[in-house]
Amino acid sequence: MSESASHTLERQDFDELFGALARRGYTVVGPTVRDQAIVYEEIASSAELPIGWTDEQEAGHYRLRRREDAALFGYNVGPHSWKRYQLPPEVRLWRARRDADGGLTELEPEPRTAPRYAFLGARSCELHAMGILDRVLLGGAHTDPADRARREDVLVIAVQCAQAGNTCFCSSMGTGPTAESGFDIALTEVLEQDRHYFVLEVGSERGGELLGELRHAPAGQHERAAASAAHDRAAAQMGRELDVTDIRDLLYRNLENPRWEEVAERCLSCGNCTMVCPTCFCTSVEDVTDLAGEHVERHQRWDSCFTVDYSHIHGGSVRASTRSRYRQWMTHKLATWIDQFGSSGCVGCGRCIAWCPVGIDITEEARAIRDSEAVGDARP
Amino acid sequence: MSADGGTQGGETRIIRTDYLARVEGEGAMYVRLDGRTVEDVKLRIYEPPRFFEAFLRGRAFTEAPDLTARICGICPVAYQMSAVRAMEDACGVTIDEGPLRDLRRLLYCGEWIESHSLHVYMLHAPDFLGYPGAVEMARDHAGIVEQGLQMKKAGNALMAVVGGREVHPINVRVGGFYKAPTRVQLRTLLEPLERARETALATVGWAAELPFPEVERTPELLALSDPDPGSYPIDRGRIRSDAGLDIAPGEFDEHVVEEHVEHSNALHARLRERGSYLTGPLARYGLSHAQLRPLAREAAGEAGLGPLCTNPFQSIVVRAVELVQASDEALALIEAYEEPDAPAVEVTPRRAVGHGATEAPRGLLYHRYEIDEDGTILDARIVPPTSQNQLAIEEDLRAVVERDLDLPDEQLSLRCEQAIRNHDPCISCATHFLELTVERG
Amino acid sequence: MSADSNQTPAKQTSAKQTLAVWKFSSCDGCQLSLLDCEDELLALADRLRIAYFLEATSAVAEGPYDISIVEGSITTPHDAERIREVRRQSRTLITIGACATAGGIQALRNFGDVAEFTSIVYASPDFISTLSTSTPISAHVPVDFELNGCPINKVQLLEVIGAHLAGRRPRVRGHSVCVECKRRGTVCVMVAHGTPCLGPVTHAGCGAICPAYDRGCYGCFGPMESPNTAALSARMAELGSEEIDLVRVYRTFNAGSAAFREASEAHEHEPAGGAPA
Repeated sequence: MSESASHTLERQDFDELFGALARRGYTVVGPTVRDQAIVYEEIASSAELPIGWTDEQEAGHYRLRRREDAALFGYNVGPHSWKRYQLPPEVRLWRARRDADGGLTELEPEPRTAPRYAFLGARSCELHAMGILDRVLLGGAHTDPADRARREDVLVIAVQCAQAGNTCFCSSMGTGPTAESGFDIALTEVLEQDRHYFVLEVGSERGGELLGELRHAPAGQHERAAASAAHDRAAAQMGRELDVTDIRDLLYRNLENPRWEEVAERCLSCGNCTMVCPTCFCTSVEDVTDLAGEHVERHQRWDSCFTVDYSHIHGGSVRASTRSRYRQWMTHKLATWIDQFGSSGCVGCGRCIAWCPVGIDITEEARAIRDSEAVGDARP
Repeated sequence: MSADGGTQGGETRIIRTDYLARVEGEGAMYVRLDGRTVEDVKLRIYEPPRFFEAFLRGRAFTEAPDLTARICGICPVAYQMSAVRAMEDACGVTIDEGPLRDLRRLLYCGEWIESHSLHVYMLHAPDFLGYPGAVEMARDHAGIVEQGLQMKKAGNALMAVVGGREVHPINVRVGGFYKAPTRVQLRTLLEPLERARETALATVGWAAELPFPEVERTPELLALSDPDPGSYPIDRGRIRSDAGLDIAPGEFDEHVVEEHVEHSNALHARLRERGSYLTGPLARYGLSHAQLRPLAREAAGEAGLGPLCTNPFQSIVVRAVELVQASDEALALIEAYEEPDAPAVEVTPRRAVGHGATEAPRGLLYHRYEIDEDGTILDARIVPPTSQNQLAIEEDLRAVVERDLDLPDEQLSLRCEQAIRNHDPCISCATHFLELTVERG
Repeated sequence: MSADSNQTPAKQTSAKQTLAVWKFSSCDGCQLSLLDCEDELLALADRLRIAYFLEATSAVAEGPYDISIVEGSITTPHDAERIREVRRQSRTLITIGACATAGGIQALRNFGDVAEFTSIVYASPDFISTLSTSTPISAHVPVDFELNGCPINKVQLLEVIGAHLAGRRPRVRGHSVCVECKRRGTVCVMVAHGTPCLGPVTHAGCGAICPAYDRGCYGCFGPMESPNTAALSARMAELGSEEIDLVRVYRTFNAGSAAFREASEAHEHEPAGGAPA
């Protein structure tokens, strides 16, 4: 963070941001309260932000709580992630009709454009998750133009965490809590006795242009120090920890660890962890025909390695047991992902812990496997 | 069909249909004639019993709406509404005004629209136009069937928004709803409901022109009567008849007895010391004609329907009038809707007996529960419209056979089936209920 | 009963396949779902010949039938015979709904004393002929495809019929309701509200309606492909479900399915069939 790039924006001027984004044709997606949680939806003003709300998170547990102040971003990540916009839950890929000669004619090719989104409120772990998902979807030789279109032109206004939740462990994964890059503007919210303001850092030319439309001032030493203190506070509050030392080889050595049996007793194989994970990218592609057999559509939907069908190949599912499915998921996320995409698939956001209906904790499972080696009973 | 020796009056003639079509559930018809005398008339309900009252015992009072909905896939909302009213009655809670009651009425309108459209266009109309079913009818009258289906779809859409889904809605609970729909959600229904209302108005005129056999029947009519003089009975009110009965739902048990007869898996209901009665659209219309919405009342008048309809074959016109009523009312309820502060009120169980009576599309549906202080159901009694109507239907059958004695068997049989369908019997409901056989002697 | 003289084998695409719809013990809701396909019904009738569907038409054609759709469970000796005849007459037999696939809500009798049940509902129980159990169709005859739900989802029903006509596998997934719920973007009622929910052990297909209406899933689509009811029950107990609640929640429309039956029995400490005192 270069100190010269710091600016301040007062709370009372915050809605100028919505105005500036609207003028530039952006649809703003940001945090809002719905059904007793903070979710990401299209919003049009700061009034729709979770003003004065925070959350309490534990394994299998999430509750909204009132804050004593009127913070706009005083919460940790909720059930939604930006994956909904990078890789939507359900997409029609194409549709076609059958011709008289039995051939197919594609109807109105699906538009390759998406609304021009501005993501407001992305956290550091989420910026890393977006980057990881981009590598998965767009990093290879063959990419889907629709995936690419959804990412082009997205403007990111990050929010630096000023607190960490009980299920957070981004510090362990090296993905936070403070965002260093991957945003157009990053803001740190500061609430003082008689002043509510944001310290802004510009991360791109676009961000700089946008800033130019807002009533801002250069950040002074006091304001920069306040922002920095907020970042430190988040780092100090990290609720969980995952020791990633040698983790790839650790998991490769432990494919037959009895711990997988034990977690399978508790695991519902419901797939919630994969659905809330901001990097899990498994989808299935399914064809739908009409009754007359004249019309066909191909849909892509979120799927999960926890379903039986997902690993169904000729002859049946290759991962018939919950043991093998949980092992697949965790080993992929923390180990084989490194071989496949050059980084861990986990950003330490803690969603899989909070949103597991029975509270299975990936940090605890990883620790149990590591500890079993320390005791020396699981090593060949 | 057999001619048995030993009779003096002439030969025995039997008219029977073992599997009645275009009714909900499984029933049969049996008529036996001895010469020109109708000896026996039976609407047989052979669909196997499902024992709802028995397994409701020991369940939580909060489970009654979801469990009893499964009595009938055609009118699950009726079951849910009678159940919640009975439980609220037991617990001393009344939801008689405000958005929660409006939402209940709105959901109920959806079921009336869906069920009546199904009956008018798919089950009943083919009788008058000489088709075995709506699909066959669509080959010659595609536009008519199509508009009926679209009206039905509007009713289903209403149930899906307010209730969560069309069959066995999930959003109804004792005390109100799990989640109240937003104004914006409800307003998406305005357009399809406006079209449904137009179709319903056209349906009244169309149905009135159908060829009706001239049959006059004047059974005792029994229906709810809404205390609001501007409100047609759906979800509340006292139980009244045109012969002077005027009782609270809680007195139903004292006045209506059910008996088990060998030919039916449905219980036959009758008014104590008075006998058979009729519930359903003809009864509601006859008793509450003045409470119809002006649009529905005018439509009935223009179709030449007086304040009382005594020809059961014309029930199709009355149903069409009720389609106008339900779609017009649904639109008014949506326009006036204010989202409630909470989707339900608190209902605390206590040891008590509760009664609930509402108007299912095919007639009065009565529930009675006895619950324990912790809300456990100790006893349940459910009287569906079709068991109440079974005797009146058999009397209609008798009247029709006596009138049309000279028709050949096949035509007489069709006429008899039609006489049964006039009342839209729901046999799945009544089993606790139906099979027709006509023996001619 | 032989096929019509000019009936060609099913693989010949030119001939219309025949459809029969059968009802056994049920509420009619699942076959109503077919009539609820307002936009597709006439197309369906165009694509298939409706040979037997009493609720919709009095025209009855003799078998055999290419596709039989069966609603309802077997609860009488007569029906146990009838389903064998239906099977004999049907090339493909598809069962629809919780009654046909798991015995339905009337399978609650399987846990109690039928003689006693009969006397509660009917004053003269001597007239009633019924079996002591309600059983799914698959307990009596081989079934080609089972579609879950109380009621079934009509879009899934069209998919099953459409897939059959196209000669492909129906796209009906056996995973949890949670997958649908998360796709829909619904906030988990169990994690965020503490509401007990059967979603994690329940077969997808409804579209995850209940959590979207702020209530827990009540399992009307029956058990999912790999239900871990023990782990879920333990969690629901932590959230405040009593033993009796756990018995009740699994003992509804799919009480006759093995997974839900066993899950309910695991929490039943009263004499079988007895109401709690």
